[in-house]
Amino acid sequence: MSAQLLEAFLARLYTDARLRERFRADPRGEAARAGLHPEQCRSLEQIDWPGLEAAAASFEKKRRRKQPRG
Amino acid sequence: MATDRVGLSWRAELAAGIFAHRDQIDLVEVIAEDYFQAPASRLRALETLARQIPVVLHGIGLGPASAAPVENFRLERLARLVDRIRPEFWSEHLAFVRGGGIEIGHLAAPPRTSATVEGAAENLRRAAALVGARPLVENIATLIDPPGSVMRESDWIAQILTAADCDLLLDLHNLHANGLNHGYDPASFLRAIPAKRIGAIHLAGGRTIPLSGGGTRLLDDHLHDVPDAVYELLEQVAALAPQPLTVILERDGDYPPIERLLAEVELAREALRRGRQRRNHHERAAS
Repeated sequence: MSAQLLEAFLARLYTDARLRERFRADPRGEAARAGLHPEQCRSLEQIDWPGLEAAAASFEKKRRRKQPRG
Repeated sequence: MATDRVGLSWRAELAAGIFAHRDQIDLVEVIAEDYFQAPASRLRALETLARQIPVVLHGIGLGPASAAPVENFRLERLARLVDRIRPEFWSEHLAFVRGGGIEIGHLAAPPRTSATVEGAAENLRRAAALVGARPLVENIATLIDPPGSVMRESDWIAQILTAADCDLLLDLHNLHANGLNHGYDPASFLRAIPAKRIGAIHLAGGRTIPLSGGGTRLLDDHLHDVPDAVYELLEQVAALAPQPLTVILERDGDYPPIERLLAEVELAREALRRGRQRRNHHERAAS
Protein backbone atom coordinates (compact mmCIF):
# COMPACT_ATOMS: atom_id res chain seq x y z
CA MET A 1 0.00 0.00 0.00
CA SER A 2 2.83 2.41 0.85
CA ALA A 3 4.29 1.84 -2.65
CA GLN A 4 0.95 2.83 -4.18
CA LEU A 5 0.82 5.92 -1.95
CA LEU A 6 4.25 6.94 -3.19
CA GLU A 7 3.18 6.55 -6.84
CA ALA A 8 0.04 8.59 -6.12
CA PHE A 9 2.16 11.31 -4.51
CA LEU A 10 4.55 11.34 -7.48
CA ALA A 11 1.60 11.59 -9.88
CA ARG A 12 0.43 14.69 -7.97
CA LEU A 13 3.94 16.09 -7.82
CA TYR A 14 4.36 15.72 -11.58
CA THR A 15 1.04 17.38 -12.37
CA ASP A 16 0.46 20.03 -9.68
CA ALA A 17 2.74 23.09 -9.76
CA ARG A 18 1.46 24.39 -6.40
CA LEU A 19 2.24 21.08 -4.72
CA ARG A 20 5.74 21.25 -6.21
CA GLU A 21 6.20 24.70 -4.65
CA ARG A 22 5.10 23.49 -1.23
CA PHE A 23 7.23 20.37 -1.61
CA ARG A 24 10.29 22.42 -2.51
CA ALA A 25 9.79 24.47 0.68
CA ASP A 26 9.31 21.42 2.91
CA PRO A 27 9.91 18.08 1.14
CA ARG A 28 9.77 15.86 4.19
CA GLY A 29 6.72 17.61 5.68
CA GLU A 30 4.76 17.55 2.43
CA ALA A 31 5.55 13.87 1.88
CA ALA A 32 4.56 13.06 5.46
CA ARG A 33 1.25 14.89 5.01
CA ALA A 34 0.60 12.59 2.03
CA GLY A 35 0.89 9.64 4.41
CA LEU A 36 4.23 8.35 3.12
CA HIS A 37 6.46 6.13 5.17
CA PRO A 38 9.27 8.00 6.99
CA GLU A 39 11.85 6.21 4.82
CA GLN A 40 10.06 7.37 1.65
CA CYS A 41 9.90 10.90 3.08
CA ARG A 42 13.65 10.83 3.68
CA SER A 43 14.39 9.55 0.19
CA LEU A 44 12.24 12.30 -1.35
CA GLU A 45 14.46 14.91 0.26
CA GLN A 46 17.17 13.69 -2.11
CA ILE A 47 14.95 14.14 -5.17
CA ASP A 48 16.52 15.08 -8.48
CA TRP A 49 15.21 18.69 -8.42
CA PRO A 50 16.26 19.76 -11.94
CA GLY A 51 14.89 16.48 -13.28
CA LEU A 52 11.61 17.04 -11.44
CA GLU A 53 11.04 20.42 -13.09
CA ALA A 54 12.07 19.11 -16.52
CA ALA A 55 9.85 16.04 -16.21
CA ALA A 56 6.87 18.06 -14.95
CA ALA A 57 7.22 20.48 -17.89
CA SER A 58 7.45 17.57 -20.33
CA PHE A 59 4.39 15.83 -18.84
CA GLU A 60 2.40 19.07 -19.02
CA LYS A 61 3.24 19.45 -22.69
CA LYS A 62 2.15 15.88 -23.33
CA ARG A 63 -1.12 16.35 -21.45
CA ARG A 64 -1.86 19.37 -23.61
CA ARG A 65 -1.34 17.19 -26.69
CA LYS A 66 -3.60 14.58 -25.04
CA GLN A 67 -2.10 11.38 -26.39
CA PRO A 68 1.08 10.08 -24.76
CA ARG A 69 3.74 8.49 -26.94
CA GLY A 70 6.59 6.26 -25.89
CA MET B 1 16.17 -19.02 -41.41
CA ALA B 2 14.72 -15.87 -39.84
CA THR B 3 16.64 -12.65 -40.43
CA ASP B 4 16.80 -9.23 -38.84
CA ARG B 5 14.01 -6.88 -39.87
CA VAL B 6 13.60 -3.11 -39.83
CA GLY B 7 10.30 -1.24 -39.91
CA LEU B 8 8.63 2.06 -39.14
CA SER B 9 6.05 3.35 -36.73
CA TRP B 10 2.68 3.61 -38.46
CA ARG B 11 1.43 7.19 -38.53
CA ALA B 12 -1.22 8.69 -40.78
CA GLU B 13 1.33 11.22 -42.06
CA LEU B 14 3.63 8.40 -43.17
CA ALA B 15 1.03 6.04 -44.61
CA ALA B 16 1.37 7.05 -48.27
CA GLY B 17 5.17 6.88 -48.09
CA ILE B 18 5.09 3.48 -46.41
CA PHE B 19 2.77 2.04 -49.06
CA ALA B 20 4.85 3.57 -51.86
CA HIS B 21 8.02 1.97 -50.47
CA ARG B 22 6.54 -1.22 -49.06
CA ASP B 23 9.47 -3.27 -50.43
CA GLN B 24 11.89 -1.38 -48.17
CA ILE B 25 9.90 -1.71 -44.94
CA ASP B 26 9.66 -5.07 -43.21
CA LEU B 27 6.91 -4.24 -40.71
CA VAL B 28 4.98 -1.41 -39.07
CA GLU B 29 4.21 -0.67 -35.43
CA VAL B 30 0.72 0.61 -34.66
CA ILE B 31 -0.19 2.49 -31.47
CA ALA B 32 -2.97 0.48 -29.83
CA GLU B 33 -4.62 3.49 -28.15
CA ASP B 34 -5.17 5.11 -31.56
CA TYR B 35 -7.75 2.38 -32.26
CA PHE B 36 -9.60 1.87 -28.97
CA GLN B 37 -12.36 4.26 -29.96
CA ALA B 38 -11.93 4.04 -33.70
CA PRO B 39 -14.98 3.67 -35.92
CA ALA B 40 -15.51 0.35 -37.66
CA SER B 41 -14.15 1.70 -40.93
CA ARG B 42 -10.76 2.54 -39.36
CA LEU B 43 -10.59 -0.86 -37.72
CA ARG B 44 -11.31 -2.53 -41.06
CA ALA B 45 -8.54 -0.43 -42.61
CA LEU B 46 -6.17 -1.64 -39.90
CA GLU B 47 -7.18 -5.26 -40.59
CA THR B 48 -6.43 -4.67 -44.27
CA LEU B 49 -3.07 -3.15 -43.38
CA ALA B 50 -2.23 -6.20 -41.27
CA ARG B 51 -2.90 -8.44 -44.27
CA GLN B 52 -0.49 -6.43 -46.41
CA ILE B 53 2.45 -5.95 -44.05
CA PRO B 54 3.41 -7.47 -40.69
CA VAL B 55 1.92 -5.38 -37.89
CA VAL B 56 2.89 -5.17 -34.23
CA LEU B 57 0.79 -3.34 -31.63
CA HIS B 58 2.35 -0.92 -29.16
CA GLY B 59 0.46 0.11 -26.03
CA ILE B 60 1.12 3.40 -24.26
CA GLY B 61 -1.67 3.64 -21.71
CA LEU B 62 -1.64 0.60 -19.42
CA GLY B 63 1.14 1.71 -17.10
CA PRO B 64 1.91 -1.80 -15.90
CA ALA B 65 5.10 -0.97 -13.99
CA SER B 66 3.18 -0.01 -10.91
CA ALA B 67 2.48 -1.33 -7.46
CA ALA B 68 -1.19 -0.69 -8.30
CA PRO B 69 -3.18 -3.15 -10.42
CA VAL B 70 -4.05 -2.13 -13.99
CA GLU B 71 -7.83 -1.86 -14.32
CA ASN B 72 -9.52 -4.74 -16.12
CA PHE B 73 -11.28 -2.54 -18.67
CA ARG B 74 -7.90 -1.34 -19.98
CA LEU B 75 -6.69 -4.91 -20.41
CA GLU B 76 -9.96 -6.04 -21.95
CA ARG B 77 -10.03 -3.38 -24.67
CA LEU B 78 -6.44 -4.18 -25.53
CA ALA B 79 -7.33 -7.88 -25.67
CA ARG B 80 -10.22 -7.10 -28.07
CA LEU B 81 -7.90 -5.19 -30.41
CA VAL B 82 -5.22 -7.89 -30.34
CA ASP B 83 -7.88 -10.51 -31.03
CA ARG B 84 -9.13 -8.54 -34.01
CA ILE B 85 -5.80 -7.49 -35.56
CA ARG B 86 -3.69 -10.54 -34.64
CA PRO B 87 -0.38 -8.65 -34.51
CA GLU B 88 2.92 -10.52 -34.55
CA PHE B 89 3.37 -9.30 -30.98
CA TRP B 90 2.21 -6.55 -28.67
CA SER B 91 4.23 -4.39 -26.32
CA GLU B 92 3.91 -1.96 -23.43
CA HIS B 93 6.17 0.26 -21.35
CA LEU B 94 7.80 -0.33 -18.00
CA ALA B 95 6.17 2.83 -16.75
CA PHE B 96 3.32 4.06 -14.61
CA VAL B 97 1.04 6.65 -16.19
CA ARG B 98 -1.41 7.38 -13.35
CA GLY B 99 -1.55 7.24 -9.59
CA GLY B 100 -4.24 7.93 -7.02
CA GLY B 101 -6.69 8.72 -9.81
CA ILE B 102 -4.42 11.34 -11.43
CA GLU B 103 -3.38 10.93 -15.07
CA ILE B 104 0.23 12.00 -15.53
CA GLY B 105 -0.24 12.28 -19.28
CA HIS B 106 2.88 10.40 -20.24
CA LEU B 107 5.15 7.55 -19.28
CA ALA B 108 6.70 8.01 -15.85
CA ALA B 109 9.42 5.89 -14.31
CA PRO B 110 8.20 4.37 -11.05
CA PRO B 111 10.41 3.98 -8.00
CA ARG B 112 12.72 1.07 -8.79
CA THR B 113 11.92 -1.15 -5.83
CA SER B 114 10.89 -4.73 -5.14
CA ALA B 115 7.29 -3.48 -4.80
CA THR B 116 7.21 -2.25 -8.40
CA VAL B 117 8.99 -5.39 -9.64
CA GLU B 118 6.24 -7.48 -8.03
CA GLY B 119 3.48 -5.12 -9.17
CA ALA B 120 4.77 -5.06 -12.75
CA ALA B 121 5.11 -8.84 -12.84
CA GLU B 122 1.56 -9.30 -11.58
CA ASN B 123 0.14 -6.73 -14.02
CA LEU B 124 2.03 -8.28 -16.93
CA ARG B 125 0.91 -11.81 -16.00
CA ARG B 126 -2.72 -10.64 -15.87
CA ALA B 127 -2.28 -8.85 -19.20
CA ALA B 128 -0.78 -11.95 -20.79
CA ALA B 129 -3.61 -14.13 -19.51
CA LEU B 130 -6.34 -11.78 -20.74
CA VAL B 131 -4.76 -10.91 -24.09
CA GLY B 132 -3.59 -14.44 -24.73
CA ALA B 133 0.02 -13.44 -25.41
CA ARG B 134 2.82 -12.07 -23.27
CA PRO B 135 3.80 -8.48 -24.12
CA LEU B 136 7.27 -7.28 -24.87
CA VAL B 137 8.10 -4.62 -22.30
CA GLU B 138 9.99 -1.43 -23.09
CA ASN B 139 12.58 0.48 -21.06
CA ILE B 140 11.52 4.13 -20.90
CA ALA B 141 13.41 7.41 -21.01
CA THR B 142 13.12 9.48 -17.86
CA LEU B 143 14.17 13.08 -17.33
CA ILE B 144 14.06 12.58 -13.57
CA ASP B 145 16.04 9.99 -11.70
CA PRO B 146 13.01 8.06 -10.34
CA PRO B 147 12.45 9.14 -6.73
CA GLY B 148 12.43 6.44 -4.06
CA SER B 149 14.51 4.00 -6.15
CA VAL B 150 16.81 1.47 -4.56
CA MET B 151 17.87 -0.48 -7.67
CA ARG B 152 19.87 0.17 -10.82
CA GLU B 153 17.67 0.44 -13.89
CA SER B 154 19.22 -2.64 -15.52
CA ASP B 155 18.73 -4.79 -12.40
CA TRP B 156 15.15 -3.61 -11.98
CA ILE B 157 14.33 -4.44 -15.62
CA ALA B 158 16.12 -7.80 -15.52
CA GLN B 159 14.14 -8.78 -12.43
CA ILE B 160 10.84 -7.85 -14.09
CA LEU B 161 11.72 -9.82 -17.24
CA THR B 162 12.37 -12.89 -15.13
CA ALA B 163 9.39 -12.48 -12.81
CA ALA B 164 6.91 -11.80 -15.61
CA ASP B 165 8.58 -14.11 -18.15
CA CYS B 166 8.47 -11.31 -20.73
CA ASP B 167 10.99 -10.29 -23.37
CA LEU B 168 12.38 -6.79 -23.71
CA LEU B 169 11.53 -4.17 -26.28
CA LEU B 170 14.85 -2.41 -25.97
CA ASP B 171 14.55 1.28 -26.82
CA LEU B 172 18.09 2.32 -27.65
CA HIS B 173 17.39 6.05 -27.66
CA ASN B 174 15.83 5.74 -24.20
CA LEU B 175 18.92 3.88 -23.08
CA HIS B 176 21.19 6.50 -24.67
CA ALA B 177 19.20 9.34 -23.06
CA ASN B 178 19.10 7.77 -19.59
CA GLY B 179 22.82 7.03 -19.80
CA LEU B 180 23.56 10.67 -20.60
CA ASN B 181 21.02 12.14 -18.18
CA HIS B 182 21.78 9.93 -15.21
CA GLY B 183 25.44 9.21 -15.69
CA TYR B 184 25.81 5.58 -16.61
CA ASP B 185 27.36 3.68 -19.48
CA PRO B 186 24.76 2.09 -21.81
CA ALA B 187 27.24 -0.73 -22.45
CA SER B 188 27.03 -1.74 -18.77
CA PHE B 189 23.24 -1.82 -19.10
CA LEU B 190 23.55 -4.11 -22.15
CA ARG B 191 25.87 -6.42 -20.25
CA ALA B 192 23.38 -6.65 -17.36
CA ILE B 193 20.37 -7.57 -19.53
CA PRO B 194 20.18 -11.12 -20.91
CA ALA B 195 20.71 -10.62 -24.67
CA LYS B 196 18.41 -13.56 -25.43
CA ARG B 197 15.58 -11.59 -23.81
CA ILE B 198 15.76 -8.79 -26.40
CA GLY B 199 12.67 -9.35 -28.50
CA ALA B 200 12.62 -6.09 -30.44
CA ILE B 201 14.34 -2.72 -30.63
CA HIS B 202 13.19 0.88 -30.91
CA LEU B 203 15.26 3.63 -32.50
CA ALA B 204 14.42 7.32 -32.24
CA GLY B 205 15.90 10.76 -31.87
CA GLY B 206 15.61 13.59 -29.40
CA ARG B 207 16.98 16.99 -28.45
CA THR B 208 18.94 18.58 -25.67
CA ILE B 209 16.93 20.80 -23.32
CA PRO B 210 18.27 23.28 -20.78
CA LEU B 211 17.60 22.80 -17.07
CA SER B 212 16.40 25.70 -14.93
CA GLY B 213 19.45 25.62 -12.66
CA GLY B 214 21.98 25.09 -15.45
CA GLY B 215 23.04 21.97 -17.27
CA THR B 216 21.08 20.02 -19.85
CA ARG B 217 19.16 16.78 -20.35
CA LEU B 218 18.42 14.81 -23.48
CA LEU B 219 14.68 14.68 -24.19
CA ASP B 220 13.42 11.63 -26.08
CA ASP B 221 10.92 13.45 -28.29
CA HIS B 222 10.82 11.27 -31.43
CA LEU B 223 11.01 14.45 -33.52
CA HIS B 224 14.62 14.22 -34.68
CA ASP B 225 16.93 11.94 -36.62
CA VAL B 226 18.44 8.92 -34.89
CA PRO B 227 21.88 9.96 -33.55
CA ASP B 228 25.03 8.02 -34.42
CA ALA B 229 25.40 6.83 -30.81
CA VAL B 230 22.14 4.91 -31.13
CA TYR B 231 23.26 3.13 -34.31
CA GLU B 232 26.45 2.20 -32.45
CA LEU B 233 24.34 0.69 -29.67
CA LEU B 234 22.33 -1.21 -32.29
CA GLU B 235 25.57 -2.65 -33.66
CA GLN B 236 26.54 -3.72 -30.13
CA VAL B 237 23.19 -5.44 -29.60
CA ALA B 238 23.47 -7.24 -32.95
CA ALA B 239 26.90 -8.46 -31.87
CA LEU B 240 25.50 -9.75 -28.56
CA ALA B 241 22.09 -11.23 -29.43
CA PRO B 242 21.93 -14.66 -31.04
CA GLN B 243 18.31 -14.35 -32.20
CA PRO B 244 16.93 -12.40 -35.20
CA LEU B 245 16.11 -8.83 -34.22
CA THR B 246 13.09 -6.73 -35.11
CA VAL B 247 13.93 -3.03 -35.22
CA ILE B 248 11.36 -0.22 -35.40
CA LEU B 249 12.20 3.39 -36.17
CA GLU B 250 9.85 5.67 -34.23
CA ARG B 251 8.82 9.11 -35.40
CA ASP B 252 6.01 11.14 -33.84
CA GLY B 253 6.13 14.48 -35.64
CA ASP B 254 8.15 16.98 -37.70
CA TYR B 255 7.97 14.29 -40.35
CA PRO B 256 10.74 14.49 -42.93
CA PRO B 257 10.29 13.22 -46.49
CA ILE B 258 9.90 9.43 -46.51
CA GLU B 259 13.23 9.13 -48.31
CA ARG B 260 15.01 10.45 -45.23
CA LEU B 261 13.27 7.91 -42.99
CA LEU B 262 14.15 5.17 -45.47
CA ALA B 263 17.77 6.30 -45.29
CA GLU B 264 17.56 5.86 -41.50
CA VAL B 265 16.07 2.40 -42.01
CA GLU B 266 19.05 1.58 -44.20
CA LEU B 267 21.49 2.92 -41.58
CA ALA B 268 19.84 0.57 -39.09
CA ARG B 269 20.31 -2.36 -41.48
CA GLU B 270 23.98 -1.44 -41.91
CA ALA B 271 24.45 -1.32 -38.12
CA LEU B 272 22.80 -4.73 -37.83
CA ARG B 273 25.09 -6.14 -40.54
CA ARG B 274 28.18 -4.77 -38.81
CA GLY B 275 27.08 -6.25 -35.49
CA ARG B 276 26.33 -9.64 -37.07
CA GLN B 277 29.77 -9.65 -38.71
CA ARG B 278 31.36 -8.99 -35.32
CA ARG B 279 29.31 -11.79 -33.80
CA ASN B 280 30.29 -14.23 -36.57
CA HIS B 281 33.92 -13.24 -36.21
CA HIS B 282 33.83 -13.88 -32.43
CA GLU B 283 32.10 -17.22 -32.92
CA ARG B 284 34.67 -18.36 -35.49
CA ALA B 285 37.51 -17.22 -33.26
CA ALA B 286 36.02 -19.13 -30.31
CA SER B 287 35.53 -22.41 -32.22
